[in-house]
Amino acid sequence: MTANQPSAERRPLRSPEPSGIRLEGVTKKFGRKDVLLGVTATLAPGKIYGLLGANGVGKTTLMALICAHQFRSGGSILVDGVDPVENADVLRRMCFIHEDQRYNDNFSVGQVLAVAPAFYPTWSAETAERLAQRFRLPARTKSKKLSRGQRSALAITISLASRAAYTFLDEPYLGLDASARSIFYDELLIEYAAAPRTFVLSTHLIDEAANLMEEVIILEDGVVAVQTEVDEARRGSFVVRGREAEVRAMLGDREVLTERGLGAILSATVRGEATPVDHAFADAHHLSIEPATLQEYVAAIGIHSLSRTLDAGDAGDQHTSASRSRIEVSS
Amino acid sequence: MTPAPDGRPIFVEIADQIAAEILQGTYAEETQVPSTNELSVFYRVNPATAGKALNRLVDDGVLYKRRGLGMFVAAGAPEALRARRRAAFADEYVRPFLAEAQRLGLSLDDTIDLLQKESHDSQPAQR
Repeated sequence: MTANQPSAERRPLRSPEPSGIRLEGVTKKFGRKDVLLGVTATLAPGKIYGLLGANGVGKTTLMALICAHQFRSGGSILVDGVDPVENADVLRRMCFIHEDQRYNDNFSVGQVLAVAPAFYPTWSAETAERLAQRFRLPARTKSKKLSRGQRSALAITISLASRAAYTFLDEPYLGLDASARSIFYDELLIEYAAAPRTFVLSTHLIDEAANLMEEVIILEDGVVAVQTEVDEARRGSFVVRGREAEVRAMLGDREVLTERGLGAILSATVRGEATPVDHAFADAHHLSIEPATLQEYVAAIGIHSLSRTLDAGDAGDQHTSASRSRIEVSS
Repeated sequence: MTPAPDGRPIFVEIADQIAAEILQGTYAEETQVPSTNELSVFYRVNPATAGKALNRLVDDGVLYKRRGLGMFVAAGAPEALRARRRAAFADEYVRPFLAEAQRLGLSLDDTIDLLQKESHDSQPAQR
């Protein structure tokens, strides 16, 4: 949280109509390590976005840059048309919940929730109360005594009650069990209906959360690999399975993201969409073609780019396109 | 709600489910169906997805929009849905059924016998 400006009390808060977020060639280096190589994307106001990609691909960094918690190395970021860096007006319209969000150790849950409205002019006390109740947050427990799951629940409560025009949730539910996550999904949609705003959600539980999202942004190798509606993204890859020779014959030189073998059987996750010709071939050769889930797709992209990185020093191997694994169980 | 194994988008699934409810009489003709936001929370999907489901049914003439009020079941919608389902019945049920019978080496007569036996058994359940 950033310190509140004293002037906020006197000045009437007239937030402009949100116009969204524009990222243009955003880069970030940590020392000599390039994390973001030029991220360009537009986020419309009032949509729920999924920000996806493998670990270390820069999801957290990108959110931290947009919220000006970190400084970009290059490129431009505009939120409602202005650069958020050192701009208190814009920062008050943003709420960023970290993967490991902590609050002042010595504050009780009740105190944290009592202070939070000072940071968020759009705060809804009603929402905070309802969520604290649903998550059974112990009001008098000090923040440092909370369990991992309770800390996540507190962070989620604050993020939804903030009603910030731009709310960033970075892996918000560490330690939350299935029923608490289910409360989160419900409340996210209830709150979104009550006060539409932009949510950017990064998560590894993609299949669980994909239906909540309207669009996904998939980061790969420091840039945006895919930005599209969820239904489109689901068509981004497919899985073909059958006898290896036939699978290879069907695939030709298409981009295989990952493949798994079991004896003579090969299962390959392929980028793109299966064509009617593919389906006819598959029917004739007893191959199965199934849509990959969004989670499989994102995982496959991650493995694919990891294996390319690992292969980069190994120029002798021409055959580096897909990660391969064979399942062999010794008895 | 998860996408169907055949990869049909979720909004299609939700539209089909609402259509099935109209067919069962859960939503009668000229009554209101749930709003985008209600469907979003109930099915736990993005409101845009719920909106696409409703719009699909509007395009099909099953629902119509009353300005400022919401979506309503069109007059004659159950009958139209039933007619459409009948038309799709051969494609979606009979053909795969016959293909499987053939794979199992059942003759057409065997298959018809089986159908007759099963329909006797399940008669009371049918109208």
